[in-house]
Amino acid sequence: MAKKDKEDDEFRPTGTIAVLAIFVITLIAIWATIYMILVGRGGTL
Amino acid sequence: MNTRQMHIDPYERNWMIFSAVMLVLFAAAVSVAAFGMGIEVPAPEQRVDPRTVATDPNSPWSNPGLREVSPGKYDAYILARAVPQWEFLPKELTIPAGSSVSFYVTSPDVQHGFKIQNTNANFMVIPGQVSKLTIRFDEPGTYDFICTEYCGSGHGIMYGTITVTP
Amino acid sequence: MTQYQVSAGEKKFIGWHLLTAILALAVGSLFGPLQAFEHAGWDFYPYIKPLIKSYYQGLTVHGVLNALVWTTFFIMGFLTFNVIFGLKRPLKNLTLNKVGFWMMVAGVVAAAIPILANEATVLFTFYPPLKANWAFYVGLTLVVVGSWVEGWGLFMTYFDWRKENPNERSPFIAFASILTSLLWQICTLGVAVEILTMLLPWSLGLLETVDPQLARTYFWFTGHPLVYFWLLPAYISWYAMLPKQAGNGKMFSDSLARLSFWIFLVLSTPLGFHHQYVDPGVPPAWKFIHSLLTFGVFFPSMMTAFTVVASLEHAGRKQGGKGALAWILKLNWKDPSVAAQLLAGLLFFFGGIGGLANASYNVNLVLHNTAFVPGHFHLTVATGVTLSFMGISYWLLPYLTGKQLWKPKLAVAQSWIWFIGMIIFSNSMHVLGLLGAPRRVPLGLAPYVPAEWNSRLFQVGLGGAILFVSGALYLTVMLMTALNKETVKEEVQVPIAEAMQDPALTPLWLDRWAPWIYGTLALIVIVYGPQLVEQIANIALTSPGFRVW
Repeated sequence: MAKKDKEDDEFRPTGTIAVLAIFVITLIAIWATIYMILVGRGGTL
Repeated sequence: MNTRQMHIDPYERNWMIFSAVMLVLFAAAVSVAAFGMGIEVPAPEQRVDPRTVATDPNSPWSNPGLREVSPGKYDAYILARAVPQWEFLPKELTIPAGSSVSFYVTSPDVQHGFKIQNTNANFMVIPGQVSKLTIRFDEPGTYDFICTEYCGSGHGIMYGTITVTP
Repeated sequence: MTQYQVSAGEKKFIGWHLLTAILALAVGSLFGPLQAFEHAGWDFYPYIKPLIKSYYQGLTVHGVLNALVWTTFFIMGFLTFNVIFGLKRPLKNLTLNKVGFWMMVAGVVAAAIPILANEATVLFTFYPPLKANWAFYVGLTLVVVGSWVEGWGLFMTYFDWRKENPNERSPFIAFASILTSLLWQICTLGVAVEILTMLLPWSLGLLETVDPQLARTYFWFTGHPLVYFWLLPAYISWYAMLPKQAGNGKMFSDSLARLSFWIFLVLSTPLGFHHQYVDPGVPPAWKFIHSLLTFGVFFPSMMTAFTVVASLEHAGRKQGGKGALAWILKLNWKDPSVAAQLLAGLLFFFGGIGGLANASYNVNLVLHNTAFVPGHFHLTVATGVTLSFMGISYWLLPYLTGKQLWKPKLAVAQSWIWFIGMIIFSNSMHVLGLLGAPRRVPLGLAPYVPAEWNSRLFQVGLGGAILFVSGALYLTVMLMTALNKETVKEEVQVPIAEAMQDPALTPLWLDRWAPWIYGTLALIVIVYGPQLVEQIANIALTSPGFRVW
């Protein structure tokens, strides 16, 4: 079974946070752009 | 075997909380647009028999076109069809700027789509069902409406035009 | 360390899946570029008229072979491998699985005949009242039922393992593969009911008319979880194999990997109305409920993003990677299997963004049936999934055949070319969609195309051409590997990333099936039941069939 290495205990996924930060900023920017297109075009009722 | 506490890395826990909050905010934003600004998706309107909807004299789609229901308010009955040829009836509509138009669209044959460019009108046209959305046209100009669902060989040529006069 | 030996017969059986999948991809991918070229105004269809009559016949071939046949065959082969290798035991009944496989093959042949005869030009969504030849529906049914039979064979193998190992945690790749297969069995009920109660009897002349709205509701019951059936096998590889290949990394969290798979099982079916936001026959309240569940199913993908990236970072750090992002360069990019899957994952981020936009209730008014949609799913199924499967096949084929991978550097180049071609293709499709361009139209010939679309339409064609080169390279590498006289020096080691924390520490509730399955079924009943009852009770069989192609 998996051995727990000492270095695994010390592993902090800081790079992951960096990658995902870029991802969510892109996500929010794209999503918000499309959302603003929707809102700019007005109601449908 | 005992059930054990699940181990979650603190970074990952924070990421999960962030993700959940972000998704809740997105859901809130679409709710505001839907229930606050009236940007809604189509609701069941009416059911018709596609075999007779274009020919029955009592059906508005036997005489498709624009009807002014009150000043500046119109109903547009539009037929999307693939037989005998791929077309919208009517193909052209003209309205003054500031008009509010309710589109009632149905099909006597296969499924179609109806999308007015640069507006929020975009919906499926399904035989047996009537699709309805209401759009206000403030900017003068021409707005193409196009078929957005595959309806046979002529799908790509199926479109019409709304002219909004100043 | 010697690994578990999969029997020669089973390797051959898995190999047959791979072969069928790749043949489907080979034929289907011929038409992909032709669609793209049509957008750019390069019309090749007149030249192939004796064989393929129209853009739409080509599009049907492309969609059915690439999205349905390539994926389903590859997936069933890969899941079968994972169950055998993960549980370290042979299939309980190989004959049963073979029966399932050959049913699927028979189904593909049955559907291919009318498609090639231009008698089923209904695209891969086959929305009635477009009416195909009956053999098309029989073929689809056989493919689905065959995949069920194969799934039953996997379940039986798992039951036996569980009986002998009541207290062990199920090995992750086997667990996730069984779950994927189960998800498929549940969700395909929709399309099975659609075909068996409406389309098949109708195409045989036993039924005069159908209800197109109800048919769409049945179809999308299957249609969205289908996406997860494609995706989860790629996730299995990203979670449990890729970190090992990329630099001897470990899976960051076994518990959360399992939890995300459970959430996929529970949530991926009861949200099909998010494909029907702009259908006239479904009440907005139900559409809205499905949209909330769709936001919910995005959550396990966010978890997956974290766990997979963290597992890769673990690999990168082990290889001496430093910095916030520079560790990425230390991953084993020279291995074509790694390069393909990393690039697939990278583009899949953007696929996720587009998917979330599509699924955001009224935001769909901007995007529905525009070119944004094929732009989106070419990042998901055609890259996140397909390029990953290509990457998996770069080790799986040598493993199964004992042949050395032919020109690994070329295989690495193939992945990069796909990546570049897809960026060009997909980016322009997304932009075109936002500008209002519809999908499923040869835009080069459409009368309403404004001049501002032209540069983007050209890029679609260019991207298609680059993708064609990449696809051809992939097929060449596969073919030359299969024919390679050079054998591997020692048996290919199956890449398995062990979990950072011993899976035995994973809580028991993450390894128990019954509560999750009951939950899944209950949620389906709650959020699909009322509308299904209402739509069936008010069924309007009013549409005769049309053949308008």
